[in-house]
Formats: sequence, C-alpha cells, structure tokens
Amino acid sequence: MFQYILKRIIEMIPLLLVISILSFLFIHMIPGDPARLVAGKDATLEDVNRVSIELGLDQPIWKQYISFMGNLFQGDLGTSLKTGLPVSTMFADRFMPSVYLTLLSMGWAVVIGLIIGTLSAVFKNKWPDHLGMVTAVSGISLPGFWLGLILIQIFSVQLGWFPTGGSEGWKSYVLPSITLGAGIMSMLARFTRSSLLETLKADFIRTGRAKGLKESSVLTKHALRNSLIPVVTIAGLQFGFLLGGSVVVETVFSFPGMGRLLIDSIAFRDYPVIQSALLLFSVEFILVNLIVDILYSTLNPKIQYES
Amino acid sequence: MRKVNSWKMLFFALVCSILLVGCSDEKSANSEKGQTGKEKEIVIAVNENFISMDPHNTGDTNSNSVQSAMLEGLLGFDKDGKIIPVLAEEYSVSEDALEFTFKLNQGIKFHDGEDFNAEAVKTNVERIMNDESLRLNSRGFNLITSIDILGDYEIKITIEKPYGAMLTRFGSAKMISPKLIKENSSDIPKSPVGTGPFKFVEWVQGDHLTIERFDDYWKKGERVKKITYKPVPENGSRVAMLKTGEASVIYPLPAQNLEELEANKDVVVSKIPSTIARYVSINTMKEPFNDVRVRQAFNYAVDKDAFINVVNSGFGLPLDSIIPSKTIYYAKQDVYEQNIEKAKELLKEAGFENGFTAEIWGNTNSDTMKGMQFIQQQLKEIGVTVEIKSMEEGTLSDEIYGAQTPEDSKLQMWYVSWSAYASDITNATKPLFHSESFPPNGSNTAYYNNAEVDEWMDAANSTGDTSKQAELYEKIQSAVYKDSPWIFLGVDELLYGSRSDIEGIYVETGGGINVNDANFK
Repeated sequence: MFQYILKRIIEMIPLLLVISILSFLFIHMIPGDPARLVAGKDATLEDVNRVSIELGLDQPIWKQYISFMGNLFQGDLGTSLKTGLPVSTMFADRFMPSVYLTLLSMGWAVVIGLIIGTLSAVFKNKWPDHLGMVTAVSGISLPGFWLGLILIQIFSVQLGWFPTGGSEGWKSYVLPSITLGAGIMSMLARFTRSSLLETLKADFIRTGRAKGLKESSVLTKHALRNSLIPVVTIAGLQFGFLLGGSVVVETVFSFPGMGRLLIDSIAFRDYPVIQSALLLFSVEFILVNLIVDILYSTLNPKIQYES
Repeated sequence: MRKVNSWKMLFFALVCSILLVGCSDEKSANSEKGQTGKEKEIVIAVNENFISMDPHNTGDTNSNSVQSAMLEGLLGFDKDGKIIPVLAEEYSVSEDALEFTFKLNQGIKFHDGEDFNAEAVKTNVERIMNDESLRLNSRGFNLITSIDILGDYEIKITIEKPYGAMLTRFGSAKMISPKLIKENSSDIPKSPVGTGPFKFVEWVQGDHLTIERFDDYWKKGERVKKITYKPVPENGSRVAMLKTGEASVIYPLPAQNLEELEANKDVVVSKIPSTIARYVSINTMKEPFNDVRVRQAFNYAVDKDAFINVVNSGFGLPLDSIIPSKTIYYAKQDVYEQNIEKAKELLKEAGFENGFTAEIWGNTNSDTMKGMQFIQQQLKEIGVTVEIKSMEEGTLSDEIYGAQTPEDSKLQMWYVSWSAYASDITNATKPLFHSESFPPNGSNTAYYNNAEVDEWMDAANSTGDTSKQAELYEKIQSAVYKDSPWIFLGVDELLYGSRSDIEGIYVETGGGINVNDANFK
C-alpha cells in the first residue's frame, strides 16, 4: 500500500506539468492586458509600455513560462502584478482559513448527512424518511448567499450570537460552515439513502439476516459499509471543490479565503496569482482523489491496488 | 491495512479534522482574550480589499484611505479636495511653474524615530523618480531635473517642463521613513512607516488591517487607540455590521438600505458630492456621431434627474460641465435640459429624421447595465435604436485601447465614469479631451479633436498663474460642453454610515476616509 501511495505521488509530477502548461496558456489567451489594468485608466501608452516591461510581459510567452517554473522549483511563487506582494504572502493568510472552513463544513455535513440518509433508508416511507428528505431537498435548494444573509440576520443582527463575518475565533466559522455544508449534507443524505436501499436488497443481506445476525449488525457492519462507496466519491469531490474556496460564502461572510482571491485575480489578469492558485488547487484535488481511492479499498477489501 | 476496520479509519479521520480545527480555535481564542483587555477600537468596513500599502505605488481609493492615516505628504487635501500644506509649512511655485519650494515643519518624527527634514524628502522623491519597480505615481516625478536642499528644513524641486498636476502629485506622494527606504524597501508594500497620527500594526491579507495611535504625533489631539479596517464586499453584510456595532463606520453605504438606517437611532448617515463623473463618450469621428447636432440631440434626449433616480437610486447631481462641481476651476454650463422636440429637430436637421441604430459598450457591472438600458430607453424616444454590448472589464479594455488609430476604433458609445483629484483639473481634462490622448495613449475615447481646446489646455498646463488657468479652463469647459463629445449624465454622491457614538471620521470628496481625529464621543 505504501508503495502504491508513493507511485501515485510520483505520478502527480507529469500531471502537474501538463496542468501548469495548459493553465498558463489559457490564462494568457484571455483578452485583457494586465499592464494597462495595473497602469490605470489615465495611463499614457508610454506608462503602459513601461509597466509591461517592468512586469516582464513583453517577453515571449514560453520565456515567461520558463521563468515562472524556474522560480517555482526554487519555492518562489512569484510576485502579484496587482499588489506587488509575494504570492506566497497573499496565500499564507488565506490558505489555512480555507482549509479549516472546508474541514468544518465537510465534518458536520458528512456526519449529519450519513445519519439522515441511514434513518431515511431504514424508515423508508415513514415520517423520519419524509422529514429527512424534506430537510435534504431544502438544503440543496436554498441558495448559499440567501441562506448566509438569513443566518446573519437571525444569529448576528437579532440574537448577536455570532459575528457577521471575518475569521477571528471559532465563532466566525460557525455561520459560514453551516452555509457551505448545507448543500453537501443534503446531497450526502440522498446518496446514502438510495445507496443503502439498494444494498439492503442484496443477497448477502438476506443471508446475514437468515443466519440470525442482529438487525443493527446487518445494517452497520454489512449494509452501510457496502453502500458507502458512492457516498465517499461524492464527499471527496465536494471536499476538493471546497478547498478551492467558495466565492459566495467568502463574499457574504467577508471570509478571507482562496475563492475570492482567485476571482479578483482573474478580473485583474494577475497571472502569477492565478497560475499559482490553479496549481495549488490541482495538487489539492489530486491528493483528495488519492485519499478517496485509499478509502475505497478500506471500505471494500475486494478493491485492491497493485503497487 | 486490509484488516483495519473501516469505521476506525473514518473515526480517525474525523478526530484528525476536529483536532486540526481545534488548533485554529486555540489560536483565535487567544486573540479574542486579548481583545477584552485592550482599549476600545474603531472598526471601519469598506467594500474592497486593500491592494498595497506602498504610497508611491498605489492608485486605489481604499488603499489610499488606510495609507493616509499612517502617512502624510508635503501637501495634502482638505475635506473638499483643495490642496493644503501638511508636512510643508508653506510652499511656493515659480512664475514659469517649474520650481517648487517647500519650507518644512520642524520637530516631526517618523514612527521609527527618524527625523523628518529636507534630507528625508529628498530620499523619498528620489525613490519615486528612480525605483523601477514602482509602476504608478512616477508621473510628474519623472520630470524632475534637480532636488536642491536649501537648508535643513527647506527644499527646492525643479521640473523640466510645466506639469499642471504637479502640486496634486506632491499631495499624493506621501513620505516614508528614509531608514525604511534605505534598509528594508521590500517591507514598504506590507508595513509602511510614516509620520501620520496612526502607525501600522498588522495586515492579515483579505481579513483586516490594524493601525494604532502614534503617541508622538506632531499635531496633538485626542484619538482612539486602535482602528481596524475590514474589507467586506457584500453590501448586506456591511450594513449588518453597522447595525450590530461590529463596525463603527461603513463605506460605501448601499443606497437601498438608506431609509432603514436613517430610522436607526444608533446610526448616522452622511452624503457628500464626489468627483466621479458618469457619462457616455461618443466617437466623434464616426458617422453619424461626427455631426455635432446628433450628439447634442442625444444630450437633449436624456433626462438627467431621471438618470440619477433610476440608476443611482436618487443620489447624485447632474453633470453640468465637463468636470464635477468639486473640481478646481469648475464653471457651470447651460445644462441640456430634456427636450424631445428639440432633439428630434436637431436629428432632422442632420438628416436623420427616421433615426438610426447605434451601439453602446459597457462593463458587466449591474449598475452599468441599468445605466445602458436607461440610455437605450431615452434614445428610443427620438427614434434611435441602441444595441447594448456589455463586456467583461479586461476584454472591454482590449477592445477600446487595442485600437492603434482612430480609424481602427470600432467604438461608437461607451458608458463609463471618470474620477480625478478635485485639485487636479489636468487629469480631469487632458486624458479625456486632448487630441494627444486618443487611445491607446489616453482615454479620449470620444476622439474629440479641437485644436483650440488643445492649445488652451497646453497653455493652462504651462503656467503657474492661477487666474490665467481659471480663465482658460472656463473657455475649455464652455467649448467642449457645446461640442458634446459625451452624453453628460451625473456626478455620484457618496454615502457612508457611522455609529452615533464616534466622531472625527469623515469621507472626503475623493472617497478617502479621514480618521485623523477619530475617537469615541
């Protein structure tokens, strides 16, 4: 297994190279000249050209790519065109809050989602099922910005329990993680329910019951475990997306995350920031996928990876 | 691995994540504990992230706001944007507008203990002139030919050719400690050191920036101990912060919340005229817009008050010259009052009795969309069909400035805004109306070409005589306004809200937040 993980990690390198080339090309293909955006509306052509040279944008694109990659291998993500600050500095204050928020949102979404999904499957077409599925549908349907603003109105403005935003103290994580997790919780609940219902019809469950296993043991040890594969897949995908930050939640809660940084940088054609952020998200996604693959084999020992 | 129970694995993963999150709690819990012990602080919520704290390399309003609490220039601006001496005790400009002499205030110290004197000014001016990495603000300073120190507290700066905006440039070029410039210049964008009433504490990217009272500030006065600036882009969240008292001041205040906030006893809402002019530039070199009657007809077709009500929620003033009323040398013109008959008449004279189809460009901002739709409706009244083409900012900029010659330009009309320092009429006119400023060399997107106006602008820029400048700019405003290279729309009003228990904070006409005397009542 260790060898397998090592192999997967080594395989990441060519993949990331391809990603870096593709994203570099795409970013530079979007219309819009960062030099003009940096220099401002009242800039003369002379100003714009000076800025362009200063930023290295007058170089051919392959030279710019090589210099970016060269710096990257020395651990230097470059300097933001917009702020003049090192990209690593701009990431530093935003990366961990994004990770914490992701873990918190996923944490409660997975736990509650599994519980609701299981209860709904066990009590199929009875009131816990109806209640659970109403909750799930609402969770998916409520738009994030709406839910966020309503939560702020109730819990910050009316009750004063939590701050309206920011990232100082655990309290400021509560409302954003509820907002972010709601949709995921609902999705997981629905997937758990349908997958579990499917599994409960399987032959091995009947065998289990026939050989006199307790219903609770049938459910947790055999049925649930076998029905988790699709749930883990979905959870993994969502986890990857969340690590990339959520523009809506970050905007509503003025949360210093990666999502808004990326969007702002795209609007400004801040090439080094966009490029580094895309690479970072790719690494995160690949790692999350690896973890999901490992979880598969743990859940279902029949899934084996050759090393 | 196979034997490990999957439930244990899941449990382990969960514990890990809780522990990780736990770590963050611990860190934040400490900072919270610290907060109860310290003196009260004022929180100011603004709508955008700060870009850089390097005063010699910043153009955005929000960064400037924070900088001006920590840093000061030789000159500065009063509430209405007029130039006033700050670190300079007095200043004079030579007859030919080439020599600027500053007599400096004495006894001023930077936050790091360095003395402010002529030598410090020289270090700063040289940095702006010579540091290649500075992308903005070198304008004007690249004209400097010599810096002469006349005494410890007197300095003379000479430029090679007259530049009308030079005094404004001295106002916006704030002074940084010479020690920081010489020893640690890479820290300037992150943590500047100046002479201002507040000194830098910390800047957590995307979250907040905190400054603290500088007790040795040269102008005595009662001030609050700490001010924290927070970027809060969502309007609703900013309003909620003002209501809960999490923020003492919010800027800008969204117009749709005005009534609700005015009814709130704990909140004071203020409104000031800005230097932001909104207009539609019309390509005067393209048919049929090359006929002045067509452009005047457009101006007569638009109801300015309705524009302000529909697009700016009622907050604004009509643009009754080519510059906003707060700009120096402003002269009010005879406004094109809405007159559909007259507009139709003009179109008929120009040979467009049956109207024509035109295209208007703008960015994808929702306010811009509203503005363009408004223009579309108004021009429909006189038989002109307007097609709206909204483009993402970067693409739009390429479309407009990508045209190397006026003939290349595909632009017909552009819905846009312009703002310049109130004291800087050069920048409020030359990039917009001088024939040297056709894209890509400037923002004369109307391709307005009037030799007489060019001449007047050049003359006004090459004299230090203010009464002569006033006279020239009056002629310029009158001529350009009549030629209608724009549909003149409105001047924004700025709205901001404060809690009623604070004082000494106000928003300046340029959009900067002045906190020099910020305190709790």
